[in-house]
Amino acid sequence: MTAYILRRFLHLIPTFLGATFLAFLVIQLAPGDFITRLELDPSYDRAQIENFRRLFGLDQPFTVQYAKWLSGFMKGYLGLSLSYQTDVWHVLKPRILNSMVLVVSSIVFIYVVSIPIGIYSALRQYSWGDRFWTSFAFFGLAVPNFFFALLMLYFALWLKDTFGHEIFPIGGMRSLYIDGVDFFQAPKWRQWLDVMWHAVLPVIVAGTAGTAGLTRVMRTQMLETKMQDYVRTARAKGLSERVVIYKHILRNAVIPIIASIGFLLPELFGGAGFVEVVMAWPGLTPMILDAIFSIDVYILMGSISISVVLLMIGNLLSDLLLAWVDPRIRYS
Amino acid sequence: MRKPIWILVVLALGALALAQPKVFKAPNADETPVFGGDFRDWSTSDPKTFNPFVAKETSSTDVIGLMLPVLTGYNPYTLEPEGMLAKSWEVKNNGLTIVFHLREGAKWSDGQPITADDVIFSAKVHADPDVGSNSIKSFEIDGSPIVWTKIDDYTVQADFPKPFAPALIQGWYIVPKHVFEKAYQEGKVTEMWDVGTDPAKIVSGGPFMLDQFVQGERVVLKKNPNFWGVDEKGNQLPYLDRYIITTVGDLNAALAKFLAGELDLFAASNADQVAQIIERIDSGKLDATIFPNADVTTGTNFIFFNWNSDDPWKAQLFRNKKFRQAIAHLMDKDSMIELALGGLGKPQWSPISIPVKQFFTDDVAKFEYNPEKAAQLLAEIGFRNKNAQGVLVDASGRPLEFRLSTNQGNNVREKIAQLFTEDAKKIGVNVKYAPIAFNELVRQILNTRDFDAILIGLTGGIEPAFSRNVWELDGPLHMWNYGPDFQSFEILIDKLMKQGATTLEQSKRREIYVRFQQVVAENLPLTYTVAPAYNPARLNKLGGLFAKDQITSIVGQYPYIETVFVKK
Repeated sequence: MTAYILRRFLHLIPTFLGATFLAFLVIQLAPGDFITRLELDPSYDRAQIENFRRLFGLDQPFTVQYAKWLSGFMKGYLGLSLSYQTDVWHVLKPRILNSMVLVVSSIVFIYVVSIPIGIYSALRQYSWGDRFWTSFAFFGLAVPNFFFALLMLYFALWLKDTFGHEIFPIGGMRSLYIDGVDFFQAPKWRQWLDVMWHAVLPVIVAGTAGTAGLTRVMRTQMLETKMQDYVRTARAKGLSERVVIYKHILRNAVIPIIASIGFLLPELFGGAGFVEVVMAWPGLTPMILDAIFSIDVYILMGSISISVVLLMIGNLLSDLLLAWVDPRIRYS
Repeated sequence: MRKPIWILVVLALGALALAQPKVFKAPNADETPVFGGDFRDWSTSDPKTFNPFVAKETSSTDVIGLMLPVLTGYNPYTLEPEGMLAKSWEVKNNGLTIVFHLREGAKWSDGQPITADDVIFSAKVHADPDVGSNSIKSFEIDGSPIVWTKIDDYTVQADFPKPFAPALIQGWYIVPKHVFEKAYQEGKVTEMWDVGTDPAKIVSGGPFMLDQFVQGERVVLKKNPNFWGVDEKGNQLPYLDRYIITTVGDLNAALAKFLAGELDLFAASNADQVAQIIERIDSGKLDATIFPNADVTTGTNFIFFNWNSDDPWKAQLFRNKKFRQAIAHLMDKDSMIELALGGLGKPQWSPISIPVKQFFTDDVAKFEYNPEKAAQLLAEIGFRNKNAQGVLVDASGRPLEFRLSTNQGNNVREKIAQLFTEDAKKIGVNVKYAPIAFNELVRQILNTRDFDAILIGLTGGIEPAFSRNVWELDGPLHMWNYGPDFQSFEILIDKLMKQGATTLEQSKRREIYVRFQQVVAENLPLTYTVAPAYNPARLNKLGGLFAKDQITSIVGQYPYIETVFVKK
């Protein structure tokens, strides 16, 4: 087992180099660079533009830029953001933490909601309840995240009009004041409560597609396991339906879902997606979009390399989890 | 016991006599200002830095501008130069030398005086090419430096290599030397005041100082008690306690926040947003006012052709004035306003933006929408017959077609381009329109030169001299033609721009720029389309704002943030 893990870790090195080099190359392939925007500003002359390129190191060949970035990364330095002129990690860290609030809550939301629904749907296949949840799942998968978020904003506005005060906040993550006290002067638990209150609508938006997807997976898994021979055997042995469902069907049906938990790791650090932009949640996504528009190479490389590392570790974790829960798989 | 009090009184009187605060004129003398309150602004993205030598975009400079002083700016009422930190100036030596007198008694938020040393130091850092300040352009004219020297603690002198009309506008940010000097000497000046800096360490010399910065969420500024401005009654400014900028990346989300009364100001960008705001005001759910079409924005949208095309047939065609005039006749500006701008906007005919009243003229050649006239002009240059596809052809049978691009994602420009393409097809001009990414567009314009026609805009400004890089023959943005073959009108424009930048007398400058607009409108190196409207909205609880007829898109809804207040 140890040898297996070690081998997997060694595999990470070429994968990491390949993935980051490719990412760097793709960013370079897009036309323009950080300074391009300034070139259409009538108030700069050519010498000033060239000087900016020199200062930002954008006049050097991209292999040199990549090598510099990589040697920094080895020392734990993610590089200097072009637009912020500060360590990329300082820019990423608060955003990752903010995004995590949404991501963790929506993952919990997804699992808590979709597993019971999936079980219910599978056990009462083609019932009205199943049909309802199936339609819900298709709606959840089909509705674009950003549009749903916008609907939620107007829903919050409508609630405010109807009840005369804010039931849910209209975007944002923290109130300016909590009971007339500046947010940061309020007690910690009040601050947390305020953030969670702001998170309700974004979590629903961020979690809907995932819930819909997982419901379908869970339903299929349950249905498939239900047909297995050992389930018939269990029933034939005269076990109660309850035991059959929870001990024989459910336990086997959730194996792939547990195995996929490892893949959540990069997701935790990847931002909650476009809902953050629409609902003004100060997460990673708005910042990465900003970085893409301004071609801030090092912010992009910083977040990509973190994702790559976590994806690789998550992958490994998934394989290990699988071996742990599924007696048919052994790595030694 | 008596003596110390006496001394204090004398000291206080002395300080009063010394202090030379700037008096900020409120827009409406009938309003009684109220002290205190929050002003809630918004921005589509975070400030990237608080360091004026690093800042490269408005999301950063908008915040820095509330904290760091400048020598002079535009008077929001007259758009003439006005002293900010400089209380007065003398123009000497035929305009080659300007002596600025600073306000004595002005202080940084940490209590240190703001002196000539700060000004000279800031000028030095901005002008240093190794720092990379965006303001470096304010420190040289045609490659020759503008020399700044200290005369005494409250007097600085600027020596210009040649007379320069906008010399009185010195809008670069002044930083506290005692904070920045050490870092500058160590070559680390760009590391100062980044987004991770403790707000308490950021020293302000403006109306507000940084209180909190929550990345991705908001910037909170609080009143700077040491600010050097007063109102007409001598009250210390600003009136507001806090200035809060919320980051809202999505325009619709910002509108929702304004509709909920959570933002104080909003500028509606299209007719749909205007309608939503009006509906909400009318239903009594929002105590606000909106001024649709109060002004047009300074941004411009225009089509230009590639006179340096590799295809000599195309290059010759694009250089033909009659061809460009025919193209101008194909622009249905009324439909563009209706369909691309939702009915809110104005047609534009010449390069100076409509709100820049001191230079703008309407007295220019206008090639209004007229397909018959266009067809006639095209016939005059040889396109008399149509081929089987209905496209005009010249004597050699070559069809009249060219490619047109604009930057993807700009809905207004995409619609303008589509409308133009359809109208051109009707008379047999085959325009192959395809939007492409902005950076690719820039690359085609500046480097590869493999385009036919492009629809794009430039950020307009108040000072025409700052657009010389577009109009002078060797300018990096002389986008339609990088030479070496120039037409006589291009040489005339070049001459007019150089004159305009070096003429100091305002009435003569206006004459020059009126002539400039006429030459451009007649010859159409850039063919202008339409300018979007400025539709400002505000909550009624704000005071110190412009009345409707005072609003301009250049200045905005209030003359000075210092005199804005929240009514009780």
